[in-house]
Amino acid sequence: MGWTLGVDVGGTFTDFYALNESTAEVHVGKWPSTPSNPARAILQGLDKLSRQHNIQLEKAVQLAHGTTVGTNALIQRKGGKVALITTRGFRDLLEIGRQIRPHMYDLNQDNPPPLVPREHRLELDERVSAGGEVLTAIEQEQLDELIGFISPDLDACAVCLLFSFLNPDHEQQVAQAIRKKTNGKMHISISSEVQPEFREYERFSTTVLNAYLQPVMTEYIEHLQHGVGAALPRAKLGINQSAGGLMSAQRARSFPIRTALSGPAAGVVGAVYVANTASRPNIITLDMGGTSADVALIRDYRADVAYEREVAGFPIRLPMVDIETVGAGGGSIAWFDRDGLLKVGPVSAGADPGPACYGRGGLQPTVTDANLVLNRLSTAGLLGGDMALQTNLARAAFEPIARKLSCSIEKTAEGVLGIVVSNMVRTIRTISVERGYDPKNFSLMPFGGAGPLHARDVAVALNMTEIIVPTTPGIVCAQGLIVSDMQEDFVISQRTLLDEGQTADALQIVAQLLQQARAWFAQEHVGTTNHSLELRVDARYVGQNFELEVPIAQGTALSPASLPGVDRLRELFFAAHESTYGYFNPEDAVEIVNFRLTARAGRVRPAAAGTSAGVKPAKPVREALREVYFEDDRPVQTSIYDRQKLIPGHVVEGPAIIDQLDTTTPIFPADRAEVDALGNLIIQIGGR
Amino acid sequence: MDKPVLDPIKLEILWNGLRSITDETFAALTRSAYSTNIKERRDHSTAIMDRSGRLVVQASQALPIHIASMSGLMACLLRKFGDAINEGDIFVANDPHTAGGTHLPDVNMACPVFADRQLVGFVCNIAHHADIGGIAPGSMAGGMSEIFQEGLRIPVIRLFRKGELQQDIMDLLLLNVRIPEERRGDYFAQIAACRLGSQRLREVLDEYTVGFVLSAFDQIIWRTEQRLRQVIAEAPDGVYRFEDVMDSDGIDTFDIPIRLTLSIKQDTVHFDFSGTAQQTPGNINVTMNATQASACYALKALLDPDVPNNEGILRVVEINAPKGTLLNASFPAPVAARAHTCQRIVDVVFGALAQALPERVVAAANGANTTAVFAGIDPRSGRHYLYLETLGGGIGGRPAKDGKDGVQAHITNTSNLPVEAIEMEYPLLVEEYSLVTDSGGAGEFRGGMGLRRVVRPVDHRCTFNGVGERFKHQPWGLQGGQAGASGRFLIRESNGETRRLDDKPAEVIVSAEQAIIVETPGAGGYGAPRNRSREKIMLDRISGKFSDAYIEEHYRRQPHHE
Repeated sequence: MGWTLGVDVGGTFTDFYALNESTAEVHVGKWPSTPSNPARAILQGLDKLSRQHNIQLEKAVQLAHGTTVGTNALIQRKGGKVALITTRGFRDLLEIGRQIRPHMYDLNQDNPPPLVPREHRLELDERVSAGGEVLTAIEQEQLDELIGFISPDLDACAVCLLFSFLNPDHEQQVAQAIRKKTNGKMHISISSEVQPEFREYERFSTTVLNAYLQPVMTEYIEHLQHGVGAALPRAKLGINQSAGGLMSAQRARSFPIRTALSGPAAGVVGAVYVANTASRPNIITLDMGGTSADVALIRDYRADVAYEREVAGFPIRLPMVDIETVGAGGGSIAWFDRDGLLKVGPVSAGADPGPACYGRGGLQPTVTDANLVLNRLSTAGLLGGDMALQTNLARAAFEPIARKLSCSIEKTAEGVLGIVVSNMVRTIRTISVERGYDPKNFSLMPFGGAGPLHARDVAVALNMTEIIVPTTPGIVCAQGLIVSDMQEDFVISQRTLLDEGQTADALQIVAQLLQQARAWFAQEHVGTTNHSLELRVDARYVGQNFELEVPIAQGTALSPASLPGVDRLRELFFAAHESTYGYFNPEDAVEIVNFRLTARAGRVRPAAAGTSAGVKPAKPVREALREVYFEDDRPVQTSIYDRQKLIPGHVVEGPAIIDQLDTTTPIFPADRAEVDALGNLIIQIGGR
Repeated sequence: MDKPVLDPIKLEILWNGLRSITDETFAALTRSAYSTNIKERRDHSTAIMDRSGRLVVQASQALPIHIASMSGLMACLLRKFGDAINEGDIFVANDPHTAGGTHLPDVNMACPVFADRQLVGFVCNIAHHADIGGIAPGSMAGGMSEIFQEGLRIPVIRLFRKGELQQDIMDLLLLNVRIPEERRGDYFAQIAACRLGSQRLREVLDEYTVGFVLSAFDQIIWRTEQRLRQVIAEAPDGVYRFEDVMDSDGIDTFDIPIRLTLSIKQDTVHFDFSGTAQQTPGNINVTMNATQASACYALKALLDPDVPNNEGILRVVEINAPKGTLLNASFPAPVAARAHTCQRIVDVVFGALAQALPERVVAAANGANTTAVFAGIDPRSGRHYLYLETLGGGIGGRPAKDGKDGVQAHITNTSNLPVEAIEMEYPLLVEEYSLVTDSGGAGEFRGGMGLRRVVRPVDHRCTFNGVGERFKHQPWGLQGGQAGASGRFLIRESNGETRRLDDKPAEVIVSAEQAIIVETPGAGGYGAPRNRSREKIMLDRISGKFSDAYIEEHYRRQPHHE
C-alpha cells in the first residue's frame, strides 16, 4: 500500500499529513500558503515533504484536500458573473430574502446586495403547485427568447423555480435549453440538484452561490489536477465537503458551494478520529486560532450536522458539520466599551501587526499578550518557531487598562483570559445546553494554536473534568482529511403523513434514494467494499413549521424494507422530540418532510500506531523551571516539558507547562496529565 | 444609584452568563412552539427581570416593542401579588389596560426565581399568539372599536400555583381561541421556556452569591443608564418639534395627528406628546408603555445601537403623553393595531431629531406594520385555517446611503413565511412577491421600496382582513428628499380588473376567481434629488426598480448640469 496524503490549505499555512497505510508511518509538515494560487503551495509543500522523509509521491494512492478557495471567493466577492432564471413574479425574492434587517437597531447595517443584479434576474411563465403538478407549462418559444436575454459576458446561470424540489422537470428543461443555446459554455446550477428542499429563499440563495463559485472552482480544480496529475499520477483526488467526507473533483466542480465550510469541517473530522484513538465517544471540540474559535459537538464518535448557516452574509441550506464560530483567538484585542466594561474581541490584531509581544508594532493588549504576562507562554515563542516574544511589550500594552481597573498587570491579564473564556463558554452552550446536552458528560478537545492554552478554564466553567490534547493540535485538520470517507448526501423533499395509507409512497421514495446512491457508487468508482448507508428523515407534527432529524436505519446495505412501519416511525419521532424538547404528544399527527440518505465509501483504516505501554516509563524529565501564574495571585515554580519527549505512560502533575511545535498546554496545579498509548495527552482536572 | 463597586471583569462574565440564559430560552421557545408565527417568524422575546420588576437582560433577538409589555406586566404583577409570590408560580397576562400589555395577542408569562428563600427576580417571555379570540380571526383586524372585541382579556393571574397547573384556567384560555390545539402547544412552549430559564438562573445564583447577583443587576442598569446619558450629552441641546398624521383608525376618524416636542438638555431627553389626537374609536391606540418602547427604540437606533436593552434605557426616556390620547389610551380603547402607531412614533422622533442630528437620522419609513390575514375552511381537509402575516416595506433614505428595500422597519423584525410554506400549509396560491416599482422616494439617497404580494384562494372562498397605514399620508423625505409611495390593498376581479379596498378592510370575501393584492408603502428620500449621482440614477433605471417616466420626472437635470 502507498501513501495517503491530507492537505489543508489555511490562510497562513498549508498543512500536510502523510500516512503510509501499510507501515502506519506518519509525517507532518507546514508550508506557507500561496493565496493567489493555492495549488502552488500544495505542490511545493508535497515536494519538500517527500524529499525530507523519502516519500515516493508517485506511489501515493490518495490526496485528500480541504480548500478555502470557495469560502474566500465568497468573502472577497471574487466569484463569477451570474444570471438567474426564476418563476414569473419572483425575481425580487433573492433580494427580499426573509424581509429582515441584519441588526435590529443599527440603521446603517445592510444585508449584502444579491450576487445577481436585478437586471440579470429573468422571469419565466411557468408554475408548479404545492402538490408538484404543473399549473402553467413552459412555452419553448418564450424560453428560447428569454435565454437570448442572458448577457453574453456572464459566466454562469442559476435556475431557481418554485416547487422544483417536488417536480424538477421545468428546471431541467430550462437547463437543457441554456446548454443548447450556449453550446455548453455556460456554467449552470439548478436548485433541484444543488439542494432539492423546500423553502425557496434558502434554496435559491444556495443555488445562486453555487453558480457564483462554479467558474472559480472549475479553474482551481483544473489547475490542481494538472499539477497533481504530474506529481502524483496514481493518487485519487478527494475534496473535503462542509458535511465532512470527501467528494470527487468532478462533483466539487459541479457543487462548489459544498466546500464553503470545508476547512473547519476537516478539523471536526480529525477530532472524531482522535476521539476514536482515545476511546472517548463524546467530545466538545475547541479549535482556536489567531482570530476566532470554532466549536462543535461530537456524540458517539459522530459530529452533529446542521442544515442551515450563513456564509459571508448569505444563507446556505446544505448539510454541514454543525460548527459555531466566535470571535475569540490569540490575537483578540481587549478594550473598554462605553459602559466601562472590559470586552475582548471580536476585533483581532491578526498576524500583522499581531499581538504587542510580537514586536511588530502592535500596541493593543491581546489574549496572547495576557498568556505571556502570566508566563504561560514561553518568551522563546513556540518550539521550533523563530520568533521570540517580548514580555516587556506585552506588559506595556496591558499597563493602561490595568491602571484604569486599579489592578496589577497580572490580575488584568487573568481577567482578559476570563472574558475570552466566557465568550467561548457562551458559544459552547449554544451547541450543547441549548440542544439538551450537558457538557459535563463530554470531554473537551482543544486544538489549533491557542486551544490548549485556554481549555482548562473553559472546561471548569462548563463542569467538564477531562481534556484531551491531540498529538499534533496544529495539524488536526490535515489529519482529519486522510481518514475521511468519500461521502454523498441525498435528499428527497416530499411531505408524507405517517398513516397507513401513505407507506407505499414512503417506500417508493426510499427506493429512489437507494437507486441514487447506487448510481453514485458506480459513478465515483469507489469499489464495492466498505460501503455504508444511513437513512434519516426530517419529521414534524402536522401544522408545525420546524423539522426534527430522526435517524431511521444504517448499515452496509439497506433496502426499502429498512424503512419501518408507521407505528415505529412515529415512536422514533417521539423519542427525538422528547430528547430535543423534553416532551411529545402521542395523539398528534406526524408527517415526514424530507427523506435523507448518506452514502459513504469507507477507506481502509490504518492500524493504530500504538507503542505498547506494558512497562511504565521512567518519570519525564523537565526542560526548565519557570514562575507561572495560574489561579493564585502569586506565581508558582513550574516545570516545563517538551511534548516530543513525552511517551505513552508518562504522567505530568500540575503545575506544569508542556511545550510543543504548534501549541502550549498548561497543566494547572492539582491537575494530572497522562500520555495515552497513542500519544494523546489526557488531562484530568483535579480537586473538582 | 451608587458608584460602581463591582469588578468590571467579573461583572462582564456574569452578564455574559445572563445573556446566555435569555438566548437559550429564546431558542427553546422557538423550537418547541407550535405555531408558525413563533417558530418561523420569531414573534417572541425572553428576558430576566429583577425582583422590583426592572428589566435586566433581554435576549439578543428580542423585539423592541416587547420591552414594554414585560415591564408593564411586572409592575401590575408586583402591585397585585406583592408578598404572595411563591416558588413554582407562573403568571400569565395580556391585558393592555390592567396588566401592562400592549395588545391582546401578545401573551406574557413570568416565573419568579428564588434563592436562599428570597425572591431574586423573574424570568419572563412573551409570544404573539396567532389568534386570541374576539370578532376577527387573527385578532388583529381593523374596525374593532372596543378592547372586548379584540379577544380574550387576561389580567395577571396564576397559571401555575406552587408548581401545579391550574387546569381550569388553561381550559378557559383555550376555549376562547380559534385553533386551540395550536395555542395549547404555544402555551406549553412558553411554560417550558419559563422553567428552563428559572433553572438556569438558579444555577447562576449557585455559582455566585445572591448578594453579588442582586448588585450586578443594579450595576447593569446603572451602567446602561450612564452610557446612554453620555451620548445624549453629546447631542446639541435644544427644543425640537415635529408632527405627522396617521391615515385613519379604521372606523370613523381620519387624519390623526401625532405631535412631539422633544427637548435635549445636557444628559436628559424629554418627549412631550401634548397636542396629539385623542384616543380613537378604532384600534390604532397605544398604551403608555408601548409609546415608551417606541421612543426608546428611536433613541437607541440613532444614538447607540449597541447599548444593552434594560431598565437603564427606560430611566433616561422621560415622556409626557396626556391620558386619554392616542399615545396613552385608557380603557376601553381597542389597541390591536398599535404597531402602526408605534412605527409612526419612531418616524416622528426621527423627524424631530433631523434638526439636531442631520448626520444620523433617516427619512420616514413605511410607517406601518401592514397586516394581511386570510382565513377560511381548507377544502382538502374541511378544517379551519388562518394565515396571518405582517409585511415589511421601505426604510427611509440615509445621510450617506439609499434606504432599504422590502424589509421590516424599526420596532419589528419578524421574517416572512416562505411562499412554498404558505402554499403547502394553506389552500392559497401566491402569484407574485416583489418590490413595488417607483415606490422609493426620490432623493440624493432614495427611500426604500415597498413590497407587493398577490394571493388568491384555491378552490374555495376565503375571507381577507387587513390593516394598512401610510396608505394616504406618504412617508416623507428629509433635507430635500421626496416622499415615498403610499401603500394599498386591491382586489382583482375575475376579469382582471382591480378595485381598491379600504385601508383597513374587514371580512372581505374572496372567491377562487379573485385575488388580493397587497402593496406596502415605500419610504422617503434623503437629500435633494438633483444631487443624486449619475451612477445611482443609471442603476435605478437598469435595475428596473424605477420607470423611465419616474426618473424623467424626478431627476431631470437642470440645464447647467447637462
